[in-house]
Amino acid sequence: MKKPIITDNIIEIPSSEDFLPDVDNFIEGKLESYGLNRSDIADIAISVTELVTNGIVHANKLILEKTVKVEISKKNSEIEITITDQGDGFDPDSIENPIENENLLKEVGRGVFIVKSLMDKVVFDSQPGKGTTVTMTKHF
Amino acid sequence: MKLTDSEKDGIAILEPKGKIMGGPDATLLHDKLHELIEGGKKRVIIDLAKVEWMNSTGLGILISSLTTLRNNQGELKLANVTDKIQSLLTITKLVTVFEAFDSVDDAVKSF
Repeated sequence: MKKPIITDNIIEIPSSEDFLPDVDNFIEGKLESYGLNRSDIADIAISVTELVTNGIVHANKLILEKTVKVEISKKNSEIEITITDQGDGFDPDSIENPIENENLLKEVGRGVFIVKSLMDKVVFDSQPGKGTTVTMTKHF
Repeated sequence: MKLTDSEKDGIAILEPKGKIMGGPDATLLHDKLHELIEGGKKRVIIDLAKVEWMNSTGLGILISSLTTLRNNQGELKLANVTDKIQSLLTITKLVTVFEAFDSVDDAVKSF
């Protein structure tokens, strides 16, 4: 795959950060059409770009043939987003706490912490060799 | 993200615009900062007035900028931090790391 594929509520991108703006435009467009306010849109867009970046860089290791898929849906006043990569899986509990003093000046390692802070519910389904699917929800 | 730069009282002012989410954004700011340091400009303000939001990659860029400048006997200060970014700085405790001011003028006076 050399460019994003968009079908209704799904965008699937090759593993390059160059496609992050495509994901952001897709997600923000959907959220605007659902009538969310700018603050909620920003919280969700930040969270999506965090997890898509993790999928592109850490899971798929920037291999363009591997993809990251983002699916969005709205049920009543709840937004649900799933993000799926094709990496080797990981243990989300193994991530260091970024707000410990010794980690404050590290340039990386805050993504999952921020997502958990901004979204109402975040569930990781990660198995060795089967990639990771993150499902997150936010009420609005 | 777009990036413009200016200077006031010998202090470099960088003004990113848009969203800072990684990829080319990181390279752009990193390259500009090193250009400033090589040109002897080590006192820098990043004016965030026109940045709607950033993710952890953006925060990483700010930290990298701060440490790079300090390692070169320089300093970084922030100005016009928007509500969403202030919230992220609070959540991540980076409010304790960065010096932030309500205006570029206030930031300039603080050097």
